[in-house]
Amino acid sequence: MIAVDGLAKAFGKRREIRAVDGVSLVARDGAITGLLGPNGAGKTTVTRMLATLVIPDTGTATIGGLDVVRDRYAVRRQIGVLSDARGLYPRLTARENVRYFGRLHGLSGVALDRRIEALFATLGLSALADRRTQGFSQGEKMKVAIARALVHDPAHVMLDEPTNGLDIISVRALRDQLRALRAAGKCLLFSSHVMQEVAALCDHIVILAHGRVIAQGSAAELVAQSGTATLEDAFVALLGSGEGLER
Amino acid sequence: MTRVLTVAAKEIADALRDRRTLTVTLLSAALAGPIFLMLIFNLIASQQERTRELKLPVVNAAAAPALIAFLERQQVKVEPVPADYEAKIRAGDIDVVLVIDDQFAADVAAGKSAVVRLVYDRSRDRAQAAIGEVEALLRAYNRQWSQQRLILRGVAPDVGNALDVQAVNLATPRQSGALVLFLVAYYGLFAAVIGGMALALDATAGERERQSLEPLLMTPATPLELAAGKWLAVSAFNGLVVAVTLLGFYLTLGFAPLPSVGIPFLFGARDFARFLVVLLPLIMLMPAIMLWLGSRARTIKEAQANISLLLFVVGLLPAVQLFLQRKEPEWIVAAPVSGQYTLLNRVLRGDVLALSDVALSYAIPATLIALALVAVARLWSRESILAGK
Repeated sequence: MIAVDGLAKAFGKRREIRAVDGVSLVARDGAITGLLGPNGAGKTTVTRMLATLVIPDTGTATIGGLDVVRDRYAVRRQIGVLSDARGLYPRLTARENVRYFGRLHGLSGVALDRRIEALFATLGLSALADRRTQGFSQGEKMKVAIARALVHDPAHVMLDEPTNGLDIISVRALRDQLRALRAAGKCLLFSSHVMQEVAALCDHIVILAHGRVIAQGSAAELVAQSGTATLEDAFVALLGSGEGLER
Repeated sequence: MTRVLTVAAKEIADALRDRRTLTVTLLSAALAGPIFLMLIFNLIASQQERTRELKLPVVNAAAAPALIAFLERQQVKVEPVPADYEAKIRAGDIDVVLVIDDQFAADVAAGKSAVVRLVYDRSRDRAQAAIGEVEALLRAYNRQWSQQRLILRGVAPDVGNALDVQAVNLATPRQSGALVLFLVAYYGLFAAVIGGMALALDATAGERERQSLEPLLMTPATPLELAAGKWLAVSAFNGLVVAVTLLGFYLTLGFAPLPSVGIPFLFGARDFARFLVVLLPLIMLMPAIMLWLGSRARTIKEAQANISLLLFVVGLLPAVQLFLQRKEPEWIVAAPVSGQYTLLNRVLRGDVLALSDVALSYAIPATLIALALVAVARLWSRESILAGK
């Protein structure tokens, strides 16, 4: 479980850019929680604080009961993160890229090889496994990055815009993969600005704007709350009423 | 420790995949010695050639038959002078011309100093040997002739030689060929400085440029473990480049048909090993500094700009030492780069390499390595490392 309480982070010389401004949310195990918000809403900063790379100014966050600041190295074993930065090593093969991260997570030998084999099979990467990632398409690279994030079978998975650049078949395969992870009892935090994606997948949706949570609930609850017909309308309505979103 | 080795193994595998960089780096390292030595030895040999078969065009040779006879006895080939000899000297076609004054015979008869002129272009390096040779021969003739005149007047020849300069050359055969020594030491040093550069930049600024640093920092590996692993890999690669460079010198000097130049210049297996021992602190220090500089840059291009300043300073130090021509203070052994250069020269001169000096030369680099790696780790712990691409 991921529990976030009053998380805040400001950047800039005089801390004038308040990227995250008092966010509280809970992402349950065995569920997919969506972090929905326009660009600059603070999704990436929240994800980075949960990934232990950015230290919050105030507030706390725990992952599987471990504090992201105090127990940062223990937290890293518990999380698999597909962040905004998802570069691969172009001279290494897909398998070598993933194996490197598996080793850094303390895996080795046959267990690691089997794990990679299984991941590649579900992601449809098996045919590309031993090719260098240099010439991979955007979607193929993304799949390798996802395999890299999941190689140590983390209990918590955070994905930042994972469907960017994927073709429709890959998107569907990814959705199946995420549902399988949910069925296996994992805690998934999925951030996106694509409504349909979030609506199709998430059990619980948290809408962020200007670093604050402006609404949360299931897709149906959000639609009911805003009195609109679709989630997209609900999203715009909630942003408009809550934050005076300018367009 | 396992993670450190994992990082090191990955970086080495990655470097070995980069065939183009690998080929260029190792090939230029391997060829440096042979090409360099060929050029130098040919230069030395051709200078000796010029001295040995000294051809001397003489103007008005008929006026001084005794001088010409003396020169010919000294194996000088006296030649007629082309009309435009001054232009030819400027163009480098003729090294030196001897002009015998029109009044030569008259002056000799009157017991006055007879005038001869040497015409040459001092700025031409290749002519130096010939100029020096002719000057020495004329001085010798002058001395011989003066002594004969003194004897004729009943004066002991020593009267005209108030100062008897006797040169005692203490150079052992190994101490000759100072320029060759300087260049071998310089090249070995330079290989240690630049050998790991491409890899160090790829492992730091490259990680940031291709956006693979952030995923790496989210693994359980600490920034210090990452820095240490990368440092090990770059140092190993750097060591390989240095070894290949020195092997080039070793094989060329040992087995190549170099022209014989009379410099019994030795660079045997022992020197090879001692070079590596002396260069080890640099082989390991430069990668640490380059990783630090690389980790401060967002892109490889930016990092290269930072490193060019480092290369300039490091490249300059040995040259400054060479041109100062002063005996170095003892502490210079402890200074990175200068210390290694000093010790390399001692190895090449055949001096004893004191263990205490070697230990002293390791101390500061070891400290700097630790500082640089901690600095890299601190940079990678900062939040701002994630900002920007």
